[in-house]
Amino acid sequence: MTRSDQPSAVSLQPTGHHPLGAYVHIPFCRQRCHYCSFNTGPYRPAAMDRFLAALLREIDRGGEAEWAGRVTIGTVFFGGGTPSLLEPEELETLLDRLGKRFALAPSAEVTVECNPESLTRDKAEGYRLAGVNRLSLGVQSLDAGLLVRLGRLHSPEEARRAFEAARDAGVDNLSVDLIYGLPDLDLPGWEATVRGALAWGPEHLSAYGLTLDEGSRWHGEGVAGLPDEETVTAQYWSLARLAREAGYEHYEISNYARHGFRSRHNQVYWRAEEYLGLGPGACGFLGGVRYGNVKPVERYCAMLDAGTLPIGTHEILTAAQRKAERRILGLRLSDGVPFAWLEDKAPLVESWKELGLLEVADDRCRLTEAGFLLSDSLFVELLEPRS
Amino acid sequence: MAPPPRIRNFSIVAHIDHGKSTLADRLLALTGAMDPKKAVDQVLDSMDLERERGITIKQHTVCLPNRARDGQEYTLNLIDTPGHVDFSYEVSRSLAACEGALLIVDAAQGVEAQTLANFFLALEANLTIIPVINKIDLPQADVEGTRRQIAEILGLNADDAIPISAKVGTGVPEVLEAIVQRIPPPAGDAAAPLKALVFDSFYDPYQGVVVYVRVFDGRVRRGMPALLMSNGRVYEVQQVGVFTPEMKPVEELSAGQVGYLTAGIKRVADAKVGETITDALRPTRAPFPGYRDAKPMVFAGLYPVEDTAYQSLRDALEKLRLNDSALTFEPETSMALGYGFRCGFLGLLHMEIVQERLEREFGLTLIITSPSVRYRVVTTGGETVEIDNPSRLPPIGEIDHIEEPHVRASIFAPTEFMNPIYRLAQDKRGEHRSLEYLGKRVHITFDFPLAEIIVDFYDRLKSISKGYASLDYDFLEFRPADLVKLDLLLNGDPVDALSVIVHRDKAYEKGKALTEKLRAVIPRQLFEVAIQAAIGSRVIARETVKAIRKNVTAKCYGGDITRKRKLLEQQKEGKKRMKQVGKVEVPQEAFLSVLRS
Ligand SMILES: Nc1nc2c(ncn2[C@@H]2O[C@H](COP(=O)(O)OP(=O)(O)O)[C@@H](O)[C@H]2O)c(=O)[nH]1
Repeated sequence: MTRSDQPSAVSLQPTGHHPLGAYVHIPFCRQRCHYCSFNTGPYRPAAMDRFLAALLREIDRGGEAEWAGRVTIGTVFFGGGTPSLLEPEELETLLDRLGKRFALAPSAEVTVECNPESLTRDKAEGYRLAGVNRLSLGVQSLDAGLLVRLGRLHSPEEARRAFEAARDAGVDNLSVDLIYGLPDLDLPGWEATVRGALAWGPEHLSAYGLTLDEGSRWHGEGVAGLPDEETVTAQYWSLARLAREAGYEHYEISNYARHGFRSRHNQVYWRAEEYLGLGPGACGFLGGVRYGNVKPVERYCAMLDAGTLPIGTHEILTAAQRKAERRILGLRLSDGVPFAWLEDKAPLVESWKELGLLEVADDRCRLTEAGFLLSDSLFVELLEPRS
Repeated sequence: MAPPPRIRNFSIVAHIDHGKSTLADRLLALTGAMDPKKAVDQVLDSMDLERERGITIKQHTVCLPNRARDGQEYTLNLIDTPGHVDFSYEVSRSLAACEGALLIVDAAQGVEAQTLANFFLALEANLTIIPVINKIDLPQADVEGTRRQIAEILGLNADDAIPISAKVGTGVPEVLEAIVQRIPPPAGDAAAPLKALVFDSFYDPYQGVVVYVRVFDGRVRRGMPALLMSNGRVYEVQQVGVFTPEMKPVEELSAGQVGYLTAGIKRVADAKVGETITDALRPTRAPFPGYRDAKPMVFAGLYPVEDTAYQSLRDALEKLRLNDSALTFEPETSMALGYGFRCGFLGLLHMEIVQERLEREFGLTLIITSPSVRYRVVTTGGETVEIDNPSRLPPIGEIDHIEEPHVRASIFAPTEFMNPIYRLAQDKRGEHRSLEYLGKRVHITFDFPLAEIIVDFYDRLKSISKGYASLDYDFLEFRPADLVKLDLLLNGDPVDALSVIVHRDKAYEKGKALTEKLRAVIPRQLFEVAIQAAIGSRVIARETVKAIRKNVTAKCYGGDITRKRKLLEQQKEGKKRMKQVGKVEVPQEAFLSVLRS
């Protein structure tokens, strides 16, 4: 991998085979959740203003590329941080600018991650009118005590109200985020959360097993009461069962959707398609190059003030890496990958089949739900040894 | 050199640490053969490994000029002997080159196991034995008690013992005088056909093998065609000389004399200890009795940790063998450990020395399988095969019975440690032979299967006796035993490097210990791993490594695929040192930790 101090040295040139995704990172929160290691800092209106100005500049800079007029943006995802800190007008400005610099497809999927405490009916409606057609609500749990321990700023009741407000505002594509494997969360507690959230009738559900990554408070300080592997595994399986019974498709390791409501933006990642990364720490993939913006907001703003693209790292994928990535990412989806992509790993495929971790049908290889659960162990085997 | 009547050929023998080297240095200094400082340097130069370990494996033979009290010039040839049980054959050959031996006993320790072993070797060689009581300068020295032991245990005349301090020099002149007075001059006929005994050798890159000889009859000089009677080879003698202790060429060596010769011999294995050298044109009638190939007794697989070091290991072993005729090796492949060599050693110490030299002098890092002995397998077809690698054992159905080598071990210890020693012996399948009370100490002899001795016997003996017990042993014979091959299987596939041959009574215990150990070091896999210890098809111990339940990073946030892939790549890197047994991945450390037990 190449780490370059001169980001301008890399040329980002999309192949344009597919519409691009665009990930926009909003790096502020009112309060950092205790499990969170993402690139986010405390929300201050002035900092937000300065950042938004820089973000517009980044879109402009991107739009200057000679290919900008030739590509279409098919999905936009505002992630964070807490994107629902944005006023509808601010969001509108950003979307307008994206549409002006690049072609935004009329049917584009535009998602905003929302925290329940900052989502009102008015805001949801404002977002919808600005062009947002999908909201992803960070609910995490419906256990009041747990929400406090996680450092969340909302109660289960407020989460439900936020969801209903979005519905009232006419948003017909709603996703809910949940986390299992939380401290002192037992199986009945988890099932209550899942049942509760499914009862709201979201189109989409994401459920992640808790991981304590470096940078999170719990990683640094430690946390008591983490459930054992058996319990976490049981939570995964009960979620899979409850979601299936409620008519959801388990279409990606951690994602469930009603028919026709898969997240198009996330599928861009898993299909190894191209996307822009905008905002501090955002990652992009263009023309075989994976790149990441600098993470500190200050630095990000300063670079754009100075007229440079804020790219901090980039990596030009080798053919072998690309091949490995495509299989690994593709296998995250229930669609799997064409059998031919794994032809050189026939003995592995055979043994995974025997273990019930993988299925082969219609010339495609798919991980089973058991395979999803062990996917990291499987993916390691699909990497090519480093030369 | 003095004429034969004024030559004395002698050795010094002792239990380890009783002062053999110190006395040798003293004698050298006193006769002016070498100044003491230089003596130390010389020994250091040649084999610092021995020095560091405090064991003399090979010392140098030296010819000491000495003016005795009768005013005559004498030549005293000090022939050194290896100081460890692994090398008792070599000791016996060195003693065969002498007429007398100084038997040192530490005045503070008394007679120990190797004192006795060496004493018997000296008796067998018909030597005049001069008992020397050393370290009389120590406050805890018990000269009278030591005298008594010399009389009672060794049956020597206690009045003949010379009390000395090799360290400060007291009594050392008396030792020199006793050598002259008590040890007979060499007999032998200088006019008879040449008959010389090889008692040591070393490899010199310029001259080839330098052979240490004691001439019994005849003479040897440059240009003579020398016949090596055990292998029938003839070499032209290029140089003869003596050790002063530097090598000093002389015209000839004749009956009674000790010195060296070179004859363009390529490997020490071509002129082995115990060999008889004679004149090819006028050969002597019969060679010296007692010649035998130094037979390796202990075997182990040596594998380079890095697969790429195989060739370097081979080269290193070749080099060591130039100078070590007892070391044997042949290529061996292990499913689990890759390519390596099955090596044979005289004993555990020999094995350690070779290992250390390979690692230190050749910079190799090695995995060594647990040491085993050579078994004799008598097949149902009546054939006898020798097996030094458990994984080569024929299938059970073809085995009529197995014989294993036994040793006779002699242990000296204070009486208070008798019980634990008997318990240890029982645990090690020892058969009691004799018990003798010697005041506050006992001398016990047992017959042991060699295999039991080479694993952790000596360390345990030392630890249960607080370091006071001493041990010596000698090969006895092969005896039939109820032995079985214990295989370790991972999901049904045998791990060849971990097979062991054990006594049936111990198989269960061993199998349990090994499976438990493996369970602790084998990481969880996608499937359950059954670890089994089995005799043939019968499983006698089993452990399970449960399948891994989940390993998933659910979130790939904001499309940061690079980070995700790097984490996976790191895991991949970590798997490089895994060896595959069937489908099971076993980390190299797992082998190491099991083999170390
Ligand atoms: N006090 C004392 N120590 C001695 C005497 N002779 C040898 N030693 C010590 O005993 C130890 C072993 O002696 P060494 O000659 O190496 O024994 P070796 O193993 O028989 O060759 C060394 O530390 C010597 O310094 C002696 O006469 N008096």
